[in-house]
Amino acid sequence: MDLAARRTLVGELAMRQLDAAYNLARWLLGNDADAGDAVHDAFVRALQSAHTYAGGNGKAWWLTIVRHCCFARLKEHGRGRRFVAIDQLAAELGEAAAQRVLPNTAADEPEQNAAAAQERARLHRQLRGLPEEYREVLVLREIEELSYREIAQMLSIPIGTVMSRLSRGREKLLQALGANGDRP
Amino acid sequence: MNCESSRRLLPLYFDGELDPADSRAFEAHLDGCAACRQALAELEALRARLRDPAMRYAAPAALRGRLAAAMPAARPRARAWAALAASWLAAALLGAGAAGLWHDRQQGLRAQAGLTRDLFASHWRALAAASPVDVVSSDRHTVKPWFAGKVAESPPVRDFAAQGFPLAGGRIDYVGSARVPVLVYRHGGHLIDVFVLAAPPAGLPRQARMQGYGLRVLALDHAAAAVVSDMDEAELDRFARLLAQGGEPPPSR
Ligand SMILES: [Zn+2]
Repeated sequence: MDLAARRTLVGELAMRQLDAAYNLARWLLGNDADAGDAVHDAFVRALQSAHTYAGGNGKAWWLTIVRHCCFARLKEHGRGRRFVAIDQLAAELGEAAAQRVLPNTAADEPEQNAAAAQERARLHRQLRGLPEEYREVLVLREIEELSYREIAQMLSIPIGTVMSRLSRGREKLLQALGANGDRP
Repeated sequence: MNCESSRRLLPLYFDGELDPADSRAFEAHLDGCAACRQALAELEALRARLRDPAMRYAAPAALRGRLAAAMPAARPRARAWAALAASWLAAALLGAGAAGLWHDRQQGLRAQAGLTRDLFASHWRALAAASPVDVVSSDRHTVKPWFAGKVAESPPVRDFAAQGFPLAGGRIDYVGSARVPVLVYRHGGHLIDVFVLAAPPAGLPRQARMQGYGLRVLALDHAAAAVVSDMDEAELDRFARLLAQGGEPPPSR
């Protein structure tokens, strides 16, 4: 395959997995502006390194680049402004949902969903509050549905470490949610 | 298998990482152990909540557009937005009919002046995207603050639900190379984009029509607004009048 074709392939892969990329970046960086910039950086880098893409598991390859760009950005900011204020939470949840729901259904959201929304907000807050190493594997495994092996390759860590971080992260989340009461 | 070794395998079983023989052995233990079943149920409940679509951030339409425009071109393209729209159409799986329609629209676009063309293009881009809004809300008190920090000045946000044009949300979009706040309203099955422009635009007609879509330009507080929708002319005029008059009193600032 020539380089142009490979670049097209990589570009299409990145566009297909753009939500996955943005989701990872957004959870790692904590705000829209940085997440968008990191994904943009990653897109440029992915095209530049299209020759290293051997085909096969594209999602993990692409997310590895996204993750690198996120950490590069975190370093740049000296880890100073990672999270936006909690009072933006409602708006953020709205944003996340906005991409999946068409306005004519979302705008008429009935009041009875208020409790469910509160519940989601609490889980959201707890996951956000987790140390990065746990948050990262939880997002990759539970939300992006990557396997242990894929996560291990992405993070350059042994599979055993993926397992222990995942278990610890789940434990912490369950504890935090349980401690907050009214978990069914 | 005892409970202790079973607990070690539980996450692997849950994550589908156990081989079939170990899975069967684990399930045999599970049948007789309520504590392990409970632990498994907890993991399942947590996963269900984490996989709620609201927990997953989706790429904003503006980012998708920027990247689509930067896609390596398979063939030379006249303008970035054309490349962007073309790949969005492919990505949005709109099918051959829509692609043909897009081609027609492109022909029409060439006949229009720059800014007018950008406004129609922006509207169609949003329609082709997964969602035409970045913040979904019928509450102007949610939409207005959402813009804060994203654009130089939050636009005035009013709701016209009582008049049949409920607020659907907002987004930031590019008109040419400028980042512009867009308020999105609904009217029946029609979406209405209101582009809030910082200054009364030069060279923009008061109204234009293209491929079944209409444009109205009006003064809005200290700014100007360009309205684009596929509503019929009369409804578009009615909405433009409402917008110009301000409908209900503006929110206190
Ligand atoms: Zn047991």
